Amino acid sequence: MSETQAFSNEFYSALLPEMLLFAGLIALILIPNLGKGTFRIPGTQLRLPWFLGGQRFGLTSNPRLPAWIATITLAGAFAAVLDSLNGGVESLLVVSSDSDAAKELLMVNGFSRVFELIFFGALALASFASMNRLKVEGTGGKLTEDQLFNNRRQADFYILMLTCGLGMSVVALAQDLFVLFIGLELASFSTYVLVAFMKESKTGSEAGMKYFIVGSVASGVGLYGLSMLYLWSGSLQFDALALAFAETGTEPLPLIGIGFVLVGFGFKVSAAPFHFAAPDAYAGASSPVAGVLATASKAMGMVGLIRMLLIVAAPESSDGSAVWLVAIGALAALTMTWGNIAALGSTNPKRMLAYSSVAHAGYMLAGLTAIGAWTWDPSFAGQEGEAALLVMTALMFHLLVLVAFKLGAFLVLSILENDGDSSRLSSLGGLAKREPLLAFAMFIFMISLAGVPPMAGFLSKLMVIMGIVNVGVGSGINSFGDLHWVWWLALLMVLNSAISVFYYLRVAVVMFFEAPEKGREGPLPSGWQVRASIFICVAATILLGVFGDSVLEMCRDAAESLTTKW
Amino acid sequence: MAGSEVTDIATPHVTELAPLIVLLPMIAFAVILFLGKVFNGNPTWKNAVKEGGIIALGVMSAVLVLSLLLIADFIGSVQAGHDSVFHWFTSGVWDGTSAGVSTDKFGFGIYVDHITVMLLFVAAFLCLLINTFSIGYMNTDPINDNRNHRFYAEFVLFCSGMLGMVLADSFLWLFIFWEIMGLCSYLLIGFYYERPSAAYAAKKAFLTTRIGDVFLMIGLVMLWDLFGSLDYTVVFDSANIEHVAEHSAGTLQWALGLMFIGAVGKSAQFPLHVWLPDAMEGPTPVSALIHAATMVNAGLYLVARMFPFFGAEALHGDLADLAYIIAVVGGITAVMAAAIAFVQMDLKKVLAYSTMSQLAYIFTGLGCALYLANTLDWHHNDKDHYIVIVAFGAALFHLFNHAMAKGMLFMASGSVIHEVHHAHHHLHHHDDHGDDHGDDHHDDHFDAQSMENMGGLASKMPITATAMLVGSASIMGLPLIGGFWSKEGIIANAWRVAQDDPKFLLPAMCVLIGAGMTGFYMSRMWLKTFAGKPNNEVAAHVGPTNTWIKIPLFLLTFVSLSSVFFAGMGFTHWAPDENYAFMSEKSLVDGIIYEMGHAFANEDSYFFIITYIAIALGAVAGPGLAMALYGGELEEGESAKPWMMPVIRLNSWVKARFNFDNSAFAESTLAVALQNRLYIDHYYDMAMLKIVAGFSTKAADADSDVIDGTIKTIESGSQSISEVVRSLTTGSARDYILMVAVGMLAIFMLVWGVA
Repeated sequence: MSETQAFSNEFYSALLPEMLLFAGLIALILIPNLGKGTFRIPGTQLRLPWFLGGQRFGLTSNPRLPAWIATITLAGAFAAVLDSLNGGVESLLVVSSDSDAAKELLMVNGFSRVFELIFFGALALASFASMNRLKVEGTGGKLTEDQLFNNRRQADFYILMLTCGLGMSVVALAQDLFVLFIGLELASFSTYVLVAFMKESKTGSEAGMKYFIVGSVASGVGLYGLSMLYLWSGSLQFDALALAFAETGTEPLPLIGIGFVLVGFGFKVSAAPFHFAAPDAYAGASSPVAGVLATASKAMGMVGLIRMLLIVAAPESSDGSAVWLVAIGALAALTMTWGNIAALGSTNPKRMLAYSSVAHAGYMLAGLTAIGAWTWDPSFAGQEGEAALLVMTALMFHLLVLVAFKLGAFLVLSILENDGDSSRLSSLGGLAKREPLLAFAMFIFMISLAGVPPMAGFLSKLMVIMGIVNVGVGSGINSFGDLHWVWWLALLMVLNSAISVFYYLRVAVVMFFEAPEKGREGPLPSGWQVRASIFICVAATILLGVFGDSVLEMCRDAAESLTTKW
Repeated sequence: MAGSEVTDIATPHVTELAPLIVLLPMIAFAVILFLGKVFNGNPTWKNAVKEGGIIALGVMSAVLVLSLLLIADFIGSVQAGHDSVFHWFTSGVWDGTSAGVSTDKFGFGIYVDHITVMLLFVAAFLCLLINTFSIGYMNTDPINDNRNHRFYAEFVLFCSGMLGMVLADSFLWLFIFWEIMGLCSYLLIGFYYERPSAAYAAKKAFLTTRIGDVFLMIGLVMLWDLFGSLDYTVVFDSANIEHVAEHSAGTLQWALGLMFIGAVGKSAQFPLHVWLPDAMEGPTPVSALIHAATMVNAGLYLVARMFPFFGAEALHGDLADLAYIIAVVGGITAVMAAAIAFVQMDLKKVLAYSTMSQLAYIFTGLGCALYLANTLDWHHNDKDHYIVIVAFGAALFHLFNHAMAKGMLFMASGSVIHEVHHAHHHLHHHDDHGDDHGDDHHDDHFDAQSMENMGGLASKMPITATAMLVGSASIMGLPLIGGFWSKEGIIANAWRVAQDDPKFLLPAMCVLIGAGMTGFYMSRMWLKTFAGKPNNEVAAHVGPTNTWIKIPLFLLTFVSLSSVFFAGMGFTHWAPDENYAFMSEKSLVDGIIYEMGHAFANEDSYFFIITYIAIALGAVAGPGLAMALYGGELEEGESAKPWMMPVIRLNSWVKARFNFDNSAFAESTLAVALQNRLYIDHYYDMAMLKIVAGFSTKAADADSDVIDGTIKTIESGSQSISEVVRSLTTGSARDYILMVAVGMLAIFMLVWGVA
């Protein structure tokens, strides 16, 4: 692990993806405004072109331009992350100054890189697909004021996409609770507005408002928790907090503080009972945005939880007694069951996917609980350490592949939204006849969500379950009585998966066996960008399920790098 | 094989390509089905692409090329090879008893040894030829229009299943591909699903083989329980076998016995043979593919794969009972099927029973070879080693010869049926809609498959008649042609075992008598079809067949005739022996001379006598009796090709000399019983109706009331819980915040409680 100061050369090269995002952000603000404006040198007749203002160029007046800039930026950032992951990542710690009192700010390592991959991948696909989702109202000729206004809004949408990505990657990199909070809020505020961005229906703004209110309450509670932790230890550095926690962790103040922080992140991962705004928000947002909420935003919440639970509140010895163990275990059980049961009766595909995403959050919390059982020592030695590492790897892999099939499912719904509506199950009716490939893609996503081999969803879920079971079994037992209780979470996961198959396959039944709604028999709205995104998702779902080895290897390295500080 | 080291194949590039052999047809399946749906009815699709036939042909050619490369590579290196192609994931397995977690790998691998290589060639080569034949057969028939893509898609999926089964590196994958084949067989037999008899036959085939498959699955589970794995490399490992032999040799015998029942079902042996004759409802290429050349060999392959268990030193003598059962099942089926074939009038059904009977020969051969391997000290004694290898080799060689000959016979019969039907239409429907043929029974009850409507076709269909003649000779074991070499081997080995162990006299007698019976029914079939005078006007107007059909017939005739070269090259030594270098010991000429001497002038008088009895029965008595009863002179002025004329002249001479009247036999109880397939199907139906149907009704009631009832209750219960849960989502942000507060308090309580 090497160290560097903020704004050094190393800093810039390590944070290349974020810098790209930043550059893209500036380009997004500037480029659509470029025009034939000139500047007269005072006192002369010389006019110099300076490109700002005046009549805009053909290219810069194209309302599609922001979408392309955002997509290319995000894809570039994704490629940069992928490139840096190639051949292993050297951990780099960014500190505030070279003095001894320097604060640790950011940490670039395999762990943060994988999460950046998740964030940028999801956002790039979503913004690419949004090109078809957000209407462009003509590019030339006379446009009404409304149309012009709508076209101008394009830039706003994609600026928010980029700020969202920037905020999320800061969360993944942060080594300080305050830096983490800044990133969290940057991303959260972007998502609040993105949710409210769907103006075609009233539900959009209502959902955005609700999401904002509940979200800010959760953030407020989280911030309150941070301030308590600061009050208690005098620092917000993960290192310092972890040290302090190991000494006096069972005092009321840090416990209350951590409890409050959990509420904040619990909202982000939509764990029950903090998930209530999520179904409303997903249903109200345009589908690609809902897809981002269900994948990237959730991954961001998971980063927060991992940092909080496994770094800050980690017990110093491997005696299996993390204070939060029972709380998170209960939360996991409640979340997965609630999500699945609520999804059973849901007739709105987007709400169904929202509840399914709640259920998936429960699975991941169950994984976290298993790691927190601390039946292993930090060097990952022996079968127990191997099992804990397996769960961590599985969690990251799950979050990664979730981008492929969860976002993919939302993208399919986004085409239906353009067609009129996707808020009823019946709006999927006859999809197999209207566009067979799309129905096939949706089917793949559904069975992957349900965890059917050989899809990626099977592999990730299997590994989470396998890891939990291995933790529960430990280094060998003789009877059921010797099992650690986290084993029962794995059983609950299996039962819940069985329930979930019902509502996932119901989608397939509607698509393949039911007739289209009246007046919706015709072909679906065109748009190659969203279809290309869906194709990428399908390919990733199948390929990662079958040939996931190298990606799993990557996740394993990342999981190990998280613990370099343990 | 037992005791041999399994190494990686010398040049890895070919094994890297080997998965393509399985994968290409599987991809072609999806492609043909998809394109067929899209372009159905399109003239280019129909005429140039033959509704997918050309795609299938291309893929199968590529498969054959890849297979030949693999085989050439294998022969070059002469090592059994194992290559894990694709490793999916590793799973921890908690075995419950001993402490700890073991790991199990999931993936697919390729396993190549002599048996693989031989069957790979048989499957790839015949699949390609049958594909060629299908283009000439299926696409010329209007009744198949616009659904041939379904045929070709199922065809290539079937090929994928067969090739995958042969190449798989574990019994688990063998079983998976085995079931893919079972599915395709169901789909292909029921290709004309609108016809009740075809739908019935498909169901019958599926269900009958399913009975065997259930046992196979149980056997595999037992095997897994014994070895903890189903990978060949693990279960064939001599150390592992030794370990198992110490404690549970009896269990192993049961496991293998149950697996053998699976093979009995797949290869249509008594008592699970009833599906094969009915399966002739499928289009003729399907009969050739599934019921002669490839799928029925799957059962034989499975039994041959068990050789390392029988050959293991640690299990010496422990599996002899199972070997005897295998031989006896084979012996009984051989005689029974041959007897039923005596009275069949349907051309394809004669071939179906013949297939059953010949497969039974191979089972007997395998049973004897396995018995020898299990009881002789063949690891240390050179003479015993030779005996075991040759016995096993004879069975494998017969598999090869039979597959080639029977594939050809089925295709030739298809060619006959095709043309007879064509002629029928030509005569009776001048305003006809095309030449849809034998596979659909017409409303005017003309049966193009019945030999009653043939006769004297030798002059009209020279290539088909020649192919059929060579094929029949090969099956009969006429000296020097095709199956002769292998069949003599099987008979001789059965008698060799009978010499040691008198209880083997039963299968040994069966195969000896069977040889004569084969000679009779195959001759009868050829003579009734091709010799004599046309039985009716239709047969007089049959014309030659088309090129797509002629090519495979020609090639297979050539292969069957060159069997002597295969024998000379030491096929019977090479096929079963992993240490035998190809053509290493003798030159081709020496090899042929050696085999000839071995066959006709055996120094051991016991085998000398047996050989000549077999020849006398199979090549003289059987055909002679058939010649006395059937066939005769061709129509005046007609003449067949010169090489067929001696047969026909001999036939007419014999028939004139001994003009038997067989009407007494035709009305006897035995003949009626044979007509009714010895009433076995009848008893099965009765058992089904009386026992199974009653039980099924009860089970169905229990299912709908108890099981469905429970599930419905759970379903409605969970739906109402779902309503309750979702009603908590009120839509009001205030309530959501309240729930956040509740959750927060709950977290505090739980954390507090622990701390």
